[in-house]
Amino acid sequence: MADEIRRWSDELARDPSSLVFLQLGETLRRQGQIDVALKIALRGLERHPRNVEAHDLVARIAVDRRDFAKAFDEWEAVLRLEPTHIGAMKGLGFVCFQHGRFSDAEWYLNQAAIRGAGADVTTALETVRRTSGGIPASLVEAAAPEEPTPEAPQPPQDPQWLFADLLLDDGQTALLLDENGYVLGGLYVDDSGTDLGEEIGAQLSGISDEVRRATRHLEIGDWRSITFETHDVVVAMAPASDESLIVVAAARTTPLGLLRRLLDRCAERAGRWLVNGGSASAQRRTP
Amino acid sequence: MSTPFAPMLENLTRQRGVRASLIVSESDGLIVDSNVRFGQDGDRVAALAASLYRKARLSASAARLGDVAFLQMDAERGRICAVGGRSDLVLVVVSDPTANVGLIRVALLKAQESLA
Repeated sequence: MADEIRRWSDELARDPSSLVFLQLGETLRRQGQIDVALKIALRGLERHPRNVEAHDLVARIAVDRRDFAKAFDEWEAVLRLEPTHIGAMKGLGFVCFQHGRFSDAEWYLNQAAIRGAGADVTTALETVRRTSGGIPASLVEAAAPEEPTPEAPQPPQDPQWLFADLLLDDGQTALLLDENGYVLGGLYVDDSGTDLGEEIGAQLSGISDEVRRATRHLEIGDWRSITFETHDVVVAMAPASDESLIVVAAARTTPLGLLRRLLDRCAERAGRWLVNGGSASAQRRTP
Repeated sequence: MSTPFAPMLENLTRQRGVRASLIVSESDGLIVDSNVRFGQDGDRVAALAASLYRKARLSASAARLGDVAFLQMDAERGRICAVGGRSDLVLVVVSDPTANVGLIRVALLKAQESLA
């Protein structure tokens, strides 16, 4: 494979307009060299803006980067150029599912099924219809254009980037706070790029005490989450292990259902990270 | 004695799974008006919900996130939703955990316009 990569690279160097960038980009993507693959794919797309496979390749790389907005745009471009492209329909179904747009996901998967997509799409579609949105991720991932990676990705070692790969766009942010409001992991970056995590953590962690008090007196059991909307953002919080607290924030335009899913994923990630001794390695920062 | 808020509260409590709807003063936690089903302690709900909303509002403001428009707290056996107007009044709904929170939210935000 290394020889082929070298050969394709040489050919591309000799002839930058060669379509060999498709094979090279795809191979690099499969090898996990996502950034290099993206660079090559985008350069190829610049030269071949109406090449369906180039758009498809960029979309699949974007999914690997969890840049679902980019993937959506590219697969839409594919369908504009080739309205019957099954891979793009499956991909759009997958992206819509990731965004909680289940009816759209069903529509795209249905279109793919009508045009003869495989049994995996049929299974995913049946489940979408049966559960009205409660589709198991494994089935939808089966409908995605590529096989999922064989091993679940490990959380990043740097606590600051603990949730980075779970966040769907630049406007989303997540923090893990300990019982005193100190930041254990994650970032809260404002528009100017300043990390406000410590300040936000210190202020918001006080709410959880109030929630505990309210649930105890009202006898409604342990609290599971609290969500509030402000003019610009929507914030969701949930208790995590070791008395810690997960805080997720997103733009106000983010659907609440999607934010809840993000909160669940971050809580799961935080739980695993803490169990694996993440908090011991985290640099606690006083607010 | 019926207040101008009574129809609004009755409409909220009619939603499936809603146990109580109240208008409370955020500053002191006292009930302005309420529509509470049998078995619910309105005074206690009012005090705690007002306190929770106030804390969220102050925390969000201190964290420079802006004013809290809608708040939802989910627990194992219940849920509290609250919206605040421009005045001191907070509209609170207590529901079962299985209630349709989307419908409750829409009804609350609609009712909130009457509070402003």
